[in-house]
Amino acid sequence: MDILASFGQGLLVVLEPQNLMYCFIGVFLGTFIGVLPGIGSMAAIAMILPLTFYLDPTPAIIMIAAVFYGAEYGGSTAAILMNVPGTPAASITAIEGHALAKKGRAGVALFSTATASFGGGVFGMIVIAFLSPSLAKLALSFGPADYFAVILLGLVAASAVSNGGALKGIAMVVTGLMLGTIGIDLTTGDLRFTMGIPELRDGVHIVIVAMGLFGVTELIASIRTNLKGKSDVEVDFDDLYPSKEEWKSLPAPILRGSAIGSFFGALPGTGQTIAAAIAYAVEKRVSPWRKRFGTGVVPGVAVPEAANNAATQTAFIPTLTLGVPGSPPMAIVIGALMIYGITPGPRLLTEQPDMFWGLVASFLVGNIMLLVLNVPLIGMWVRLLKIPYKYMYPTIIVLICMGVYSLNNNVFDIWLTLVIGAAGYIMRLFRFEPAPLLLGFVLGPIMEEQLRRTMLLSRGDPMVFLERPISATLIAITVGILIFGLYSTQRKRRQTRAAQQNSTGR
Amino acid sequence: MTKLPDHSTELGAEPAEATSLGWGSAIGGLLLLVLSIIFMAGGWRLGLGVPTRLGTGAFPFFAGGILAVLACAICIDERRGDGIADTPDWIAFLAISAALAVFALTADQVGLVPAAFLTVIIASLPDTSLSLLGKAILGVVVSVACWILFIELLNLPVKPFVRFW
Repeated sequence: MDILASFGQGLLVVLEPQNLMYCFIGVFLGTFIGVLPGIGSMAAIAMILPLTFYLDPTPAIIMIAAVFYGAEYGGSTAAILMNVPGTPAASITAIEGHALAKKGRAGVALFSTATASFGGGVFGMIVIAFLSPSLAKLALSFGPADYFAVILLGLVAASAVSNGGALKGIAMVVTGLMLGTIGIDLTTGDLRFTMGIPELRDGVHIVIVAMGLFGVTELIASIRTNLKGKSDVEVDFDDLYPSKEEWKSLPAPILRGSAIGSFFGALPGTGQTIAAAIAYAVEKRVSPWRKRFGTGVVPGVAVPEAANNAATQTAFIPTLTLGVPGSPPMAIVIGALMIYGITPGPRLLTEQPDMFWGLVASFLVGNIMLLVLNVPLIGMWVRLLKIPYKYMYPTIIVLICMGVYSLNNNVFDIWLTLVIGAAGYIMRLFRFEPAPLLLGFVLGPIMEEQLRRTMLLSRGDPMVFLERPISATLIAITVGILIFGLYSTQRKRRQTRAAQQNSTGR
Repeated sequence: MTKLPDHSTELGAEPAEATSLGWGSAIGGLLLLVLSIIFMAGGWRLGLGVPTRLGTGAFPFFAGGILAVLACAICIDERRGDGIADTPDWIAFLAISAALAVFALTADQVGLVPAAFLTVIIASLPDTSLSLLGKAILGVVVSVACWILFIELLNLPVKPFVRFW
């Protein structure tokens, strides 16, 4: 009952005209940027972030969240129509979605996506509302050692199973931790690694890191593919609604997808892409349509989309209740909250109930807005996709420059973005992924503070991490993930090498 | 219209097969090793403190230490690695870096509108599918849109034009 009352309170917050407006602007801009190929939800949030600094914390966080799930949503539109996923998770939607589009049924695919996204989003929101309060209560008993262990687990989980392999993923996390130490040490007041540059005193701004790694780097890497991609699919809007048989096939996969998505979204380090991939794989086994998977079927579009959107919402659970982001976009949310002087963690629920419940309720409102934006207005997004990329990417660069420049009105920030973006591109060529770096960058300072507190309380005895039951359990899980990550990297490499040898016949 | 040099058509070219670099693919690991040494040395100089009261340099020092171990492991691992992930697109790399640099160099000197215009021109320079006139029109549209959006609507304290003569 408590939860319902709090949720009602949150609904009142989000229905205030100002919050409603920023929620709408958020989903609109998010969908807009998400639809554009080559820039994903990370770049979308990074571009919007400087604009939110002028707002109060509650509308700001509502808007950032709306941009995030709007972009995740928009990503699927580009995936279905052009087979160019706007976001990584959308590549799973593209499997069936683009197949449907090629059959001339793009309208049906887009409609199923909208329905499934809505279902997944609402499901995820309900999970947050019921799970967060108890998790926050549990987290209140956490000591600094436990916090350190939670962060460690989050970082290792997010990086050990990355595409480039466990070693490289963790190396990127540690690089992020070191990058996060630049600037004034808040405990001692000493300057660290500023190289005498006054602009670095306050550290590197999170917008600069995110714009560099997810704006500049991704843009350089994606120009080649995107200049070639064309929307060759015509959308027939008379054929927007699925057949009766397809309608009946929708609810079950949406529920399954939502459940799987909610679970993986809340786990640190898995995120939407894994959630969508697993949900699709499960559906491929259990669906009555399984034999036709791969040829373009409605349940195959609905499942990853429901999972993706549910995971997008439940990712907020560890972020808001523990202060540990499970995915890079959540790291930006944490960074944004800290800019407002709000520390995400178990106390957020009791100290900022309006913000927390307003945000949760905004997921419902935002998902309704997405439905309205995307079913009757789908033609607008399709037309947006027809704009050639050659007009798009120079515009995006100017927007990146403006976003960074607006932080401090200082061109030094643009130079720094350039350096980080260029370094990110070179590391990317060697299969180092940027996402773990951002997580390390955001969590580094928190981790260091918890480490210092732990060592102070334990009088310098590091064994405390293994003596407290919570932290010992978390560290055991972390080690398990680490071993699994290293093992699976090696196995995957052996498999690729074997496949290569077979194909060359040597 | 000026004809752009031939190699510019590489922008938009098909990516070739990833190539094996042998020891060359350890470059990423070596770069990280250098970085880790810088942070370890810096951390050492800042002071490690004592276990009960960790010094300013302790966290970067130990993070650097962990990274050094990881970097060495990556170097050894990469010796028989699978080469680079993608054929580098140096044209795009240079164009985008130059575009950012131009914005950084000009924003304060000539104002937002000319800076945005120049940025668009530089960024789209290697793209042969767009004519010079097309680039100029795109530049005007983007810079005027930025003026309206950032200065008129969002009230950013930036000057649209600066008198530099």
